[in-house]
Amino acid sequence: MMRQHWVRLDNASNMFLAARSDVDPKVFRLGAEMDHEVDPALLHKALEKTYEKYPLYHAVLRRGVFWYYLQDSDLRPEVTAELTAPCAPIYQADRRTLLFRVMHHRRRISLEVFHALSDGTGALWFLTDLVTAYVRLRFPTERPTDPGADGATEAAGGSGAADASDGTGAMPGEDLDDLAAHEPVHDLTGDSFAHYFRRRRRPGSDAWQARAAFTQEAEAEDRVLSVGSRGADADPGPRDGTGSRDGTSPRDGTGSRDDTGDVAGADGSTEDSADAPRREPVGRRRLSLRRRVYRVRGTRTPDHRTRVVELTMPAAAVIALARAEGVALTMYLTAVFFEAVRRAAEHDALTLAATVPVNLRQFFPSTSARNFFATTRVEHAYRSGPNDLGAVARTLERDFRAKATAEALEGKLRRFLRFERHPALRIMPRPVKDVLLSGINRASNRGLSVAVSNLGRVVLPEPVSDHVGRLAFEVSAVRPQFCAISHAGRLTVTFTSPFVETDHVREFARILTGAGVEISVAAGRVTGQELAEAFEDREGDEPQEDAS
Amino acid sequence: MSAGLSRCVDCGVDVEGTWSRCPLCGAALREPQEPGERTPSPLPDVPLRFSRSRLLRALVLTSLALVLASFLVQLLISPGVSGLGVLRSVWLAVASLWLVALMAVRKRRNIAKSTVYFVVLAGLVCVYWDFLLGWSAWSLTYVVPILCASSLLAVMIVVRVMRIEVGEHIVYSGLIVILGLTPLVFLALGWVNTPLPSALCGALCVLALGLLQLSSGSAARHELAKRLHL
Repeated sequence: MMRQHWVRLDNASNMFLAARSDVDPKVFRLGAEMDHEVDPALLHKALEKTYEKYPLYHAVLRRGVFWYYLQDSDLRPEVTAELTAPCAPIYQADRRTLLFRVMHHRRRISLEVFHALSDGTGALWFLTDLVTAYVRLRFPTERPTDPGADGATEAAGGSGAADASDGTGAMPGEDLDDLAAHEPVHDLTGDSFAHYFRRRRRPGSDAWQARAAFTQEAEAEDRVLSVGSRGADADPGPRDGTGSRDGTSPRDGTGSRDDTGDVAGADGSTEDSADAPRREPVGRRRLSLRRRVYRVRGTRTPDHRTRVVELTMPAAAVIALARAEGVALTMYLTAVFFEAVRRAAEHDALTLAATVPVNLRQFFPSTSARNFFATTRVEHAYRSGPNDLGAVARTLERDFRAKATAEALEGKLRRFLRFERHPALRIMPRPVKDVLLSGINRASNRGLSVAVSNLGRVVLPEPVSDHVGRLAFEVSAVRPQFCAISHAGRLTVTFTSPFVETDHVREFARILTGAGVEISVAAGRVTGQELAEAFEDREGDEPQEDAS
Repeated sequence: MSAGLSRCVDCGVDVEGTWSRCPLCGAALREPQEPGERTPSPLPDVPLRFSRSRLLRALVLTSLALVLASFLVQLLISPGVSGLGVLRSVWLAVASLWLVALMAVRKRRNIAKSTVYFVVLAGLVCVYWDFLLGWSAWSLTYVVPILCASSLLAVMIVVRVMRIEVGEHIVYSGLIVILGLTPLVFLALGWVNTPLPSALCGALCVLALGLLQLSSGSAARHELAKRLHL
């Protein structure tokens, strides 16, 4: 009998298990809209091919006495029509199933992933490979003109390791990443948190010096970027080390040079994991501050599905708006979101806080597709000072830039890993840990109004991108949230919420349309009434259509 | 903009799909320029689906409360009440059966695991029952050894017939074997009236332990290392 590989779940992922609930099953979705109706048979073939390259995605989640662990399995994934609500639960205790699903609906290919398995960046790699494989099967005559060309531009300045499974040799950042370079890239192993933040700092260690140098470089570049922010359709060159696996890899969140907030973790509520140990001792002052934070309330959807509203807009127009205010896209959109929530709440003096995940691969090169992100929290009190959109955006930008630096994040994560490695916590049985973590999660949820996540601009390899329109990115949410992603000049901002109400989305859209941005809205139906309307329509219009 | 999109004038947005009212503000939408040619929504309409898990959870919790209450109430009934004997046995039997059924439903996905639960629960219930009836040690003498031995045999058969992988059952088989060794402790402490059942059960378990060690000792150690990883 082959002994199955297994690996303990990394630290951010544990939080997803403790924090998942009926309303928020901690599932996120990445989707690609093709220029034709998706062919399920070819998609299945493409999935099988891609699946081979990602041993991590073979994993099932199991429960030990003290920890959860991922274990290799010989299950095979199936492509299905999209019959479930967006971000429907994937992981069920005691049921050994794969932790992702691939679906198709009309022109869309959707990949849904349980967040304990992978983060937004990791899933984007998978989706890119899947769509690439699919396009190659669907349009066999089209070949990439020069496979090396993409790789060359993409990998410039990157410092991650090349994709070993693809065999593209160039490893520009080999010296930085002594370990990861020799591992199969999307293997089950590879907890980058442990790799970077557990080891004791060894003065004089080459890897550390290299990394420190890299960090400084990245920051220098950051500063340059913040001065001369570029449009999304400008230079696609990466700033960080995340995406340079090979030519086919997306710029995975990193492509948006105008944007520091590369997200990896799609989800906002796990920030808590990383914040928790730091917050605990600080105690009262923060608590009293947090108590005032406004929390959006509303009517739960009838079957607790996620309310999804997708806003698609020209990326360049929004980036121009952000640039006019002198901020990067993520914080501009966050400021608009804050303003929208404030208007929807019809309340002037609110304190709003958002959690923003940051892709750690941009500071700490890693090719692991497992979770590797940290979250930061930005806040704005609409009590004093200038409250116009631009001023708020600039305040948030300053706040965010201060928090999303390699040093700040490293300190935070080291503290968190120390906390995780604490003997008292280690010998605590898993169910107790779950209770503890979900308590911490609830406590930090009280200090958050919304969540924001931006995967940035994605660049697909040449023949593929011609067949792909907009991309979609959304995540199950315990509070109103938006996820942004852009491709082919179209920015998709997808709002998700556990509530039926869409007031904040309306205000968000109106702020942007008021500024001259053209928006198209696609919304999922969640209430009985909305669905009844759709099915009536369908019976009238297309009797042959499958009712599901 | 696009011909197939309806438009909300108030929000200034185009709306994909067949919405008649704006999904954002609820205002009536302006029909697309070419009616009947609406761009279909990229998001499917998924019928409402109610998860039974919440209902099930409520039922399980209520049942557990009732079963627990049934067991506790017995403490208040003094053993000497005449005419209550049969009634009480039926009551206890129903409560025990219900408990076992609940457990079997909950742990149905792993038969070896559910057997461990069964042995523990049934054993404890019988000991408690014995205690309620004024302790004549029938539970330790007969029930526990028979329960352990038969469960062990059952698991060994099931594992073989269902071709369950070693890693899947080894921890639970091991636990049953260890539970099966407890009658030997009772025997040593002199808590039993007739030594034969305990001795037989103990012998069977020692034998099984040897077999497990020989056939899948390393798999067992691997599995334990995984599950007890600190």
